[in-house]
Formats: sequence, C-alpha cells, structure tokens
Amino acid sequence: MIDPQLLLSGVIFGLSMGSVFFLMTVGLSLCFGLMRIISLDQLLYYSVGAYLTYSVSLAVGNVWIGALAGVAVAGATALFVERFVFLRIYARDITFSMITSFGILIGGIGVIKVIWGLVPRPVPVPIEAQWNILGTDVPVYRLAVVVLALLVYAGIWLFLNKTIIGKAIRAGIEDVEHVEGLGINVYRLFTLTFVIAGALSGLAGGLHAPLIMVFPDMGLEVLAFAFMVVIIGGLGSIKGTFISAFLVGQVVSIGSLIYAPLAQMAPFAIMLLILLIKPTGLYGSAMLKR
Amino acid sequence: MSVLRWWSGLLVAFGLLVLLRIFLPLPFNNEIIIFSIYVIGCNYLLGRVGFISFGQPAYLAVGAYGTAFYLYYFGGNPYVGILVGIVSGIVVSALVGPLFVRLRSDYFALVNLALAVIIFFLMQKVLASVTFGDNGLELLTKMDVTPILDISRPDQFWVFAFVSAFGVWALYKYLDDSVFGACCLAAKANEDKLRFLGYSNYGIRLMAFVVANTTTAFAGALYAVHQGLVSPEMSSPARAADPVVVTILGGVGTLYGPLVGSIAFVGMKDLISKVFGHWELIVGFLLVFVMLAGERGIWGSLEPLLRRWILRQRETDKPVVADAGVKAR
Repeated sequence: MIDPQLLLSGVIFGLSMGSVFFLMTVGLSLCFGLMRIISLDQLLYYSVGAYLTYSVSLAVGNVWIGALAGVAVAGATALFVERFVFLRIYARDITFSMITSFGILIGGIGVIKVIWGLVPRPVPVPIEAQWNILGTDVPVYRLAVVVLALLVYAGIWLFLNKTIIGKAIRAGIEDVEHVEGLGINVYRLFTLTFVIAGALSGLAGGLHAPLIMVFPDMGLEVLAFAFMVVIIGGLGSIKGTFISAFLVGQVVSIGSLIYAPLAQMAPFAIMLLILLIKPTGLYGSAMLKR
Repeated sequence: MSVLRWWSGLLVAFGLLVLLRIFLPLPFNNEIIIFSIYVIGCNYLLGRVGFISFGQPAYLAVGAYGTAFYLYYFGGNPYVGILVGIVSGIVVSALVGPLFVRLRSDYFALVNLALAVIIFFLMQKVLASVTFGDNGLELLTKMDVTPILDISRPDQFWVFAFVSAFGVWALYKYLDDSVFGACCLAAKANEDKLRFLGYSNYGIRLMAFVVANTTTAFAGALYAVHQGLVSPEMSSPARAADPVVVTILGGVGTLYGPLVGSIAFVGMKDLISKVFGHWELIVGFLLVFVMLAGERGIWGSLEPLLRRWILRQRETDKPVVADAGVKAR
C-alpha cells in the first residue's frame, strides 16, 4: 500500500489542485448557468492571471501583489471581451458561443506568445514555510490556496444568497425572461457575472503560477481538466463544480501516487462513468435546453 | 443527363484541384487534400447532425497510429497500413460512439476534446515504450515500394490522395442525397419529429458519428504515410480547433466548404508563418471574425450566388425549366 506520509502529502496536493480547478471552472459554470454560454475563454484569463503574476512579481518582488494584478487584468480582459464579442452572441445557441470562445482562447494564447515568448517562466513561491503535520512536511502555500478557494466559495455563496444583485443572478439562472420582466437590466448582470468569472479564473492562474511553470499553452493544458470538472459537476451548478473540482483534484493526485500515468487517465474514466449513470453530471439539471 | 449533372459539381471541383496541382508546389497540394478529408468529417457532424466536435484530433491520431503501428511493427505495405488505420478508426468510434452520441451537443464537444487529450497523453506518456513519446514513429524507411502506384513517393501519393478524396466526396454527396442524409438533417432540426416518423435518433447519430470519424481516421492514415512520421503532436489540444475553424471558414454543412476552407486555411498558414510566425493568433481571431460576420464562411457565402448564376444561365439556355427549382437545393 501507499506510505501514509506520502498519502497525506498527496491529499494536500490534491486539495490545492482542486482549489485551482474550482476557481478556474466556477466562472465557466456561472456563465453557463446565467447566460447559457460556454465560455472557454476563461482559460485565457487563467493564463493572463498567471503571466501577470509572473511579470508583476518580478517587478515588485511580491507574488501576492502580482496575483492581485493578475486578477485585475484578467477581469479587465474579460470585460473587454464581453463588450466586444459576447454581447453580440448571447442570443445565439450554445455551440456558437463555444466555437467563438475557443477562437478567443486560441487567439489570446497567440497574443501571449507575442508578448511573453515561448519560454516557460518560473514564479517564486510566496510562502516558503512548511508545517509539520503528523510527521509530514506540508507546504503552507498549498494550504493557503485551499483556504483562499474556500473563502471564494463562501464569498460566492454569500453574494448569490445575501445580496440583491446575487439574488437577481440566481433568479436569472432560473429564468432570464422573468428577471427582465421585473425591470432588471439583465445585460448588466451578464457583464458583471462575466467579469467576476474572468477575475476568478485570473485568481486561479495567479495562485497556480507558483506551483507550476508559467508557459503559453498552460490554458490548453488544463483545458481537459476544466472540462472534466465541469462535466462531472454538471454545467451551471456551483455546488457541483465545487465538489467535482476537489474530486478531480484528489483523483489526479492520488492516482499519480499509485501509477503515474493514472493522473491523466483516471479522471477521464470517472467522467465516463458518471456520464453513463447521469448524462447531465452530478448536479446538472436536465431542463437546461433552450 | 441527370447522372452527368450529379457528377458535374464534383468534376468541376476536382478539376480545379488538378489545376492547383499544376500551379502550386506538391507538398501544399498534398496537405490541402489530406486536410480537406480531415475536415469533411467535422463538417458533416457539425452541419448535418448538429454535433460540434472539438475532439477530431483524437480520431485523426487513431487513424495515424493505427497505420503507424502496422507499418512500424508488422508489415511494410502502406496500402494495408492505411486500411488498418481506417479499421482502427471504425473500431474506436464504434466503441466510444454509443456513449458519446447520447450526450447533448455541448457535452458532446467537451467529452470529445477530453478524449483527444486522453489519446494525446496515452501516446505521449503511457504507451511511450511503443510510440517513442514525443519523438514519434519514424516510418519513411519502413514503407515498401508498392507496384503500380508507389505512395511512399510524394508525387504518386498525390494521385492516390486525389483519387481517394474524390471517392470521399462522392460518398458524402451520395449521403447528402440519401434517406440517411435526410435523417441526419432531421435529427439536427427536430429529433422528436424524426422519432415520430419511426426512425431511431440514436442509431442515425451513431451511424453518422462512425462515418464521419472514420473519414477523419482515414485522413490520419494518409497523414501517417505522407509525412512518414507520427507523433502525439497530432492530437494535441492546441490543434483541436483547426478542423472546426476550417469547417466554419469554408461554410458549415456545405459539400465543398471543406475544400475551399482547407485551401484558404493551409494557404494562409503557409503565408503567415513565413511572414509573421504567430500562427494561432490569426486562426483564433479569424474564427471569431467569421463567427461574428455571419458564420456562413467563404463557400457558404459564394454558393448561393453561384447557384443563382447557374440557374440564370440555364434559363437563358432553355426557357422552360421544369425541374431546375427542385434540383437546386
């Protein structure tokens, strides 16, 4: 069997990975829920966040400020893209947004390659300290990532349930036309949701950057995992995304402990299994057909 | 007469391809022919069945690796290799098809892309002892010289690719005219009514899925023989958009869209990578532009004009046209 110490560090690794997955896909899920679009360009904002973290932390010397800058710029990019592209395609069907956003993703990666070049860039880990938990050295930064993701989840929950705008968004997820009928400008809501989603993806990139190298195709590299998370959780469900993000994180991490190539294969197997049992994912609803 | 009319479009299109062969260099010609075969599967799925697939590289790689495994480990005849590639395409798409075609279109796209990534990792890491990872399988020296048409040589390969592309197009034109093609369109437009007519949605979609992806695998097999090198790069997710881009660039659901799109795409790719270098930037934004500009693509915009022109010509030829309106769909 696996060494328990290895297992513990594997679980922590999986948790931090799950946190990144969650932050990355929650935007995708929110956008699908409210606007009925599949916004693959979230992975572009993820890369943008990571690259900004790299550049700013290199200039300022503080990774956290870099991550903040990443969030800001990712949000701004999302706003820009929403204004120029998505505003025109909300009314179209889902495949349309999927193709267009894939175009944005590929094009954006091209822009990243022009600006930053092809070479992978390292980002220093902001918290070097290690805690000793049950005889295993656990990097504190990974725990910090997990805590941040939990805070974001709580924040989203509070936002959606306790604020009037959040309630409008939730109502919009149920039925956009009725919300419009109440005199709420849904396109404002759309823009807001899209920018929040982009900023969260940027945060995911910023937090992930110190754990990996930053390179142009990183968005495409995690694309498959983002898909698995969203499919397993069910499109449009934040709770489902949360659960499946941590599930996939654990499966990747513990799977790779057992047999290295399992890291990529196991989530796929789980996804197929879940799709076989429930074609809409764990928490996706069947009524989402427009 | 009607037989001639049925073939006339195909003959004109492939006559133009021969012209291209005369004026443009050989590698470019080979590339566009293989690429257009690659794209027509995606085009059929998207335009006729309403499935958008970001996972076409998966099936391309299946075909290519099928061929490559045969040529590298078992035998030397490239024709048999291509056949093995096609068969492996059929097998894989028949295996995953029953699972995939039940899904809604958006999930379908995601699952297919996931499959492409899985095959990419499978070939790059898991089976690295057989596939030699990123180095790929080198096939050039493994192929025997075949009598009559030696497809290990690029110029004769072109002849083979050309003939097979013609066959593929004839097949798809036939499919468009057949009951099956009509059912596919119906499955896209209104599945409830199709079920009402007594057809099985699932069966039709599965069939279309297998046909389209086998075509893609065939393109993969052709790539393997043409390039003489098969590496996991083929199914990399970075290339997943290419067939969708070309489908839309050429015109979704049109018969000649893949050809026109491939010529435009491969041509631009050659030009841009010579001048500018950052290739995906242009592809991405081109895709966004075509989508926002009305998603009809090059051929999709040209075809109605051409059709109207032909009709007008016919009307001036003989004033009484009974079936022209019916024939022009």
